[in-house]
Amino acid sequence: MSHKKQTRRDFLKTTGAGAGAAFGVPFIITSSALGNSERPAASDRIVMGGIGIGNMGRGDQWGYLNRKDVQYVAMCDVREEVRTRSKATIDGHYRNHDCKTYNDFRELLARTDIDAVHIATPDHWHAIITIEACRNGKDVFCQKPETLTLREGPLMIAAARRYGRVVSGGSQRVLEDYRKQVDPAWAGEFGKIKSINVNVGPLPKLCNLPPEEMTEKIDWDMWLGPAPWGPYNSKRCSGSYSINGASWRSFSDYSGGGMTDWGAHHFGGATFICDVRELQPEEVIYHDDKEGQFLEYKYPNGLVLTHNRPHAQNMQIEGTPGQKLPPKPVPTYKGGDNIGADFIYCVKTREKPFRDIELAANTAVVSHLGNIAYQLKRSLKWDAARQEFPGDAEANRFIDRARREPWQL
Amino acid sequence: MLADAFEALKKFDWGTDLSVLSPIDDAAVTAHGDPAVSQELENRLLAALKESLSRDAHDYACRKLMIVGTVASVPSLAGQLGNKEQSHMARYALERINVPEAGVALREALGTVSGSQKIGVISSLGSRRDAAAVAPLGKLLQTDDPAVARAAALALGTIGTAESAAVLQAALPSANGDKQIVIDGLLVCAETLLAADKHAEAKAIYQSLAGEQQPRLVRLAATRGLLACARA
Repeated sequence: MSHKKQTRRDFLKTTGAGAGAAFGVPFIITSSALGNSERPAASDRIVMGGIGIGNMGRGDQWGYLNRKDVQYVAMCDVREEVRTRSKATIDGHYRNHDCKTYNDFRELLARTDIDAVHIATPDHWHAIITIEACRNGKDVFCQKPETLTLREGPLMIAAARRYGRVVSGGSQRVLEDYRKQVDPAWAGEFGKIKSINVNVGPLPKLCNLPPEEMTEKIDWDMWLGPAPWGPYNSKRCSGSYSINGASWRSFSDYSGGGMTDWGAHHFGGATFICDVRELQPEEVIYHDDKEGQFLEYKYPNGLVLTHNRPHAQNMQIEGTPGQKLPPKPVPTYKGGDNIGADFIYCVKTREKPFRDIELAANTAVVSHLGNIAYQLKRSLKWDAARQEFPGDAEANRFIDRARREPWQL
Repeated sequence: MLADAFEALKKFDWGTDLSVLSPIDDAAVTAHGDPAVSQELENRLLAALKESLSRDAHDYACRKLMIVGTVASVPSLAGQLGNKEQSHMARYALERINVPEAGVALREALGTVSGSQKIGVISSLGSRRDAAAVAPLGKLLQTDDPAVARAAALALGTIGTAESAAVLQAALPSANGDKQIVIDGLLVCAETLLAADKHAEAKAIYQSLAGEQQPRLVRLAATRGLLACARA
């Protein structure tokens, strides 16, 4: 349990009865607080809040809200309509009026009663909010893609380890969508896997949408946050799942385009199939010939992960099937059959989750290296230990980007 | 083609088709490994910044200078750091130009810019891990503006030297604003020092934060750090 639960339990143990006697009134404890056979006592529930309750955030919120071992007490969003709707949902679930809403995530994170948060803002906010959450002693479930730049991953990992936080990335698809390849791969049936292909895109692009009249009540400055200033446009800030120019997912100031958006799933799945989630590529070879552009990522163990290789299917594997390997147990969720359950289980037990932030960041590295290689139209070498492109001053400029004041990592 | 694109840049604004600027995008790529092409592109971008550009066009030019900018770009970009609408994208380029002059320009701006722009300059100095900025950033830990003090603490942590740790340590008892951030900065310094095999310096920081008077979260972080020192 988090240290906050221990604090509450300790308080009740040492002062509860005495306090009632001192004031001469019955010490009233609700049945909800005491718990029952179906619902843990209040002191055993994980107190949660949510930040960024758009399309994905709503789904995550619903998952946590419906857990009997979670008490969902607060949410934050820069859209007034979302705050209103979300509060109604949460209050309706608990049949009270207790949910607190915030426009500024810092106020939510400053609450000492909250144990954990789930984050589903646009990608350009993920690192800042996750790190701030860790500083405030919160465990974090952060939606994919967990990072926008190469610099962010190590900083998020460091913050999680520094403060002993459980930080899970998102992507339920890594474990769930690719079982046709995962199971035989981990059973050793492909032999040593030589290569795997991922087809995903498109690349991100610069947003140059025209200004629009703001017809929704949104804190535009806060929505932009650390991203460069741009005028309000409903497509710029739309959270639709589109990556073809109709939502922020398409645009490089907020996201890595399809390379990170669906890349989190497909690259995540591919690296899981090949059991290289703990590694990062050491080289990206850029190809541009009559069959189009594609990439080869070379891993230190000899694996080649290709991106958009001509004529190759998604998750197409080249192995050595005649040379089966010993089977290995497939890592899986703990505490339930979904990634949210895995996160909550790990919050209680302090284990690393299935998509620990280090594994999530390694997947995002694949996406970011790819985006940089495509933008520069050339091959790159990557030093995972030093987190830089060795001897490549031009590529190193892309490791991070200056954040709009007052935001900083 | 490039000349046409730079003409188009003069009228470029939000809503304009980005394809009119694609020759500039292409030039920024082909400039790699060709100093003459790179210099020509940089000169053209700097000349454009002297024109009366829209904010969008200005920002675009800065995005390209992030790629091809050299010491030659520093004066122009430095001159924009105090402008509320231009400062961020000037830093977008300046922060990533790895020349000492960029650091000098940012340090000098600490004394001339104010408000949010000052916080931006501070954050860029941190991102650059500018060791020469430790002393001026240390002074800002005591400023009346808690947001500036916080930014300075974060930046000093990111710089992560023994000197920045010493400045943070000295400021902790009387730190304005967010003490938690000063402590976070110290912990980051300790991690950086430990990674650089400076065990004694790292251990000293962790020991200073392991006392009972610290919040539990900090004590646990310090304890983890001491264990890491013992394992190193």
